[in-house]
Amino acid sequence: MIEIRDLGKTYNTGAITLEALKNVNLDIEAGEFVAIMGPSGSGKSTLMNIIGCLDRPSVGTYSLDGKDISSLDENELAVIRNQKIGFVFQTFNLLPRLNAMRNVELPMVYAGVDPVTRRQKASEALDRVGILDHAKHRPNELSGGQRQRVAVARALVNSPRLILADEPTGNLDSKSGAEVMALFDELHAQGSAIVLVTHDPEIGAHAERIIRFRDGEQVKNN
Amino acid sequence: MNWLEMILVALDGIWVNKLRSSLTVLGIIIGVASVILVLTLGRGGQSKIMNELESMGSNVFVVYVNQPEDGDYNKYKITSEECKIMRESIEGIKALTPMAYASPQVQSRRKKENCMIIGTESCYNQITNIPMVKGRFINQNDDAAARKVIVINQKMSDDLFGVGGDALGQVITVDQTPVMICGIFKNGSGMLEGAPRAMAYMPINTFLSMFPYSGVYELDGSAETKEQVEKVAQRVLKSLEIRHDAVGKKAYMVFNMEQELQSANNVMSIITMIISAIAGISLLVGGIGVMNIMLVSVTERTREIGIRMAIGAKRTDIMIQFLIEAVVLSLLGGVIGVMLGLGGGAIVCLLAKIPFTVSIGIVLLAFIFSSVVGIFFGMYPANRAAKLDPIEALRYE
Ligand SMILES: Nc1ncnc2c1ncn2[C@@H]1O[C@H](COP(=O)(O)OP(=O)(O)OP(=O)(O)O)[C@@H](O)[C@H]1O
Ligand SMILES: [Mg+2]
Repeated sequence: MIEIRDLGKTYNTGAITLEALKNVNLDIEAGEFVAIMGPSGSGKSTLMNIIGCLDRPSVGTYSLDGKDISSLDENELAVIRNQKIGFVFQTFNLLPRLNAMRNVELPMVYAGVDPVTRRQKASEALDRVGILDHAKHRPNELSGGQRQRVAVARALVNSPRLILADEPTGNLDSKSGAEVMALFDELHAQGSAIVLVTHDPEIGAHAERIIRFRDGEQVKNN
Repeated sequence: MNWLEMILVALDGIWVNKLRSSLTVLGIIIGVASVILVLTLGRGGQSKIMNELESMGSNVFVVYVNQPEDGDYNKYKITSEECKIMRESIEGIKALTPMAYASPQVQSRRKKENCMIIGTESCYNQITNIPMVKGRFINQNDDAAARKVIVINQKMSDDLFGVGGDALGQVITVDQTPVMICGIFKNGSGMLEGAPRAMAYMPINTFLSMFPYSGVYELDGSAETKEQVEKVAQRVLKSLEIRHDAVGKKAYMVFNMEQELQSANNVMSIITMIISAIAGISLLVGGIGVMNIMLVSVTERTREIGIRMAIGAKRTDIMIQFLIEAVVLSLLGGVIGVMLGLGGGAIVCLLAKIPFTVSIGIVLLAFIFSSVVGIFFGMYPANRAAKLDPIEALRYE
């Protein structure tokens, strides 16, 4: 599903150029559950942004479902983000003015789904993450764990085949974290590929495979 | 994403910052309201003035003695014989009558007062329509025999004989000379005339014999057709200049209604232009306000933009979202402006007793104008929002 070849990312900040990613080669199969681990600043988020089609590599290629991302224009990337990928962020990134239901509806809004279907699918998604009874609450009326569940519901509502989660439990206590991880396990069981960044070995243990990074490079030992 | 939803999202964004939004659109409100107000009043006023001038007759002209260079008014005094000759000899003339003015004291058995008396001839009511309430206007026999008759207006009748009193056929004295009331006409109701005053008409020859020190310094006339007015008036002017050896002395002047209509129109369009310019500036300022607040809004919502992009919004979706917000904001200002403008217009029209009409065209124009302002000034902020880098935007605190 994901094919990364000799990928690198450099940032030019003033005089210094910073190599956030160097020579990354990575394959992730459909339905696989992969954890990316490594110290802070090792380039995990940078890689996630590239996999999520939010950013482009400086060198190398990234193909998603056999399609080279560099050949696609911005609108096509937006469609991929909308249809094929679901994001879960460490800081939840819900829209504060919309209630849980409408936050979950948002990806379908951009997919052009009609309001009735949208409402129905959003309810189902909220139900799946066990938070349907809070559908009318705004993010600031929810606990961190509840917010992250809404975010997971939003990520899965368009039934993407790839879910990207950058430290999804980073802002949660261990109990809420475990609940969210249970959701990922369930999604994985239902066939979604999951790529998850974490510092926590216990969280990483949920994955089938762990990829370690250090200073922008893969640590090759497993 | 359908339009209705986008508009609802925009309204939501505007509603969150109610105070800020309303201050922002104030410029647009003022601009639109003043345009609507002025155009509404302009239309009403114009049609009112037109009607009035029209009713006075647009083929009417006046020739009068203008301050002669040698200061010798007597030399340029016009006689009623001259007037008669000109009336009969000048081509295209329909009516021509001498006009003389005096403000003597008039007295009935009940009361006395000062009033304005105009000496003229029977053909005056061919020039200006004088609506009679009772009796008749001066006739040719009155002219010829210099009969001691007077035609008074309702106000004068009310003053001298009381409201509802019967003035017709009564004798009153004008500067001690008894004259008989042969007709009563309606008070003028024109906007240009103000409160009605006591006034009356008498046959010119009677008038001149009663006020020997007065004289005729004005001729009122009308032409057969509107097109001829200017020519006929010039002929009368020339004829007078020749008779009084006044060629080139600017002793006589012409005034006609056509010119008057023109200048009324000109004044109107100048006022409209000035107010429109003010409104234009106001709209411009309003537009800049909208742009400013949209820029603030884009900055405040940078993270929101990043989130929307991450979950699949295209750049055009973001662009349209902010553009619609700008347009809805300005249009809201437009709607409030139209309502204020029409409301104000209705009140002023009511007070000034001019007809109030709503022009759909003007209202539509106001809406179109405010939307255009929204699009124009919303373009830059919306574009800025759409150009944001999704990762930068997501990271924005
Ligand atoms: N936009 C940017 N401009 C310049 N440097 C950047 C930018 N984004 C990331 N970097 C740098 O790239 C490197 C990798 O950053 P990245 O966010 O991928 O690290 P990370 O592994 O996710 O760390 P953490 O675990 O703390 O989230 C860091 O040194 C960071 O400073
Ligand atoms: Mg990171």
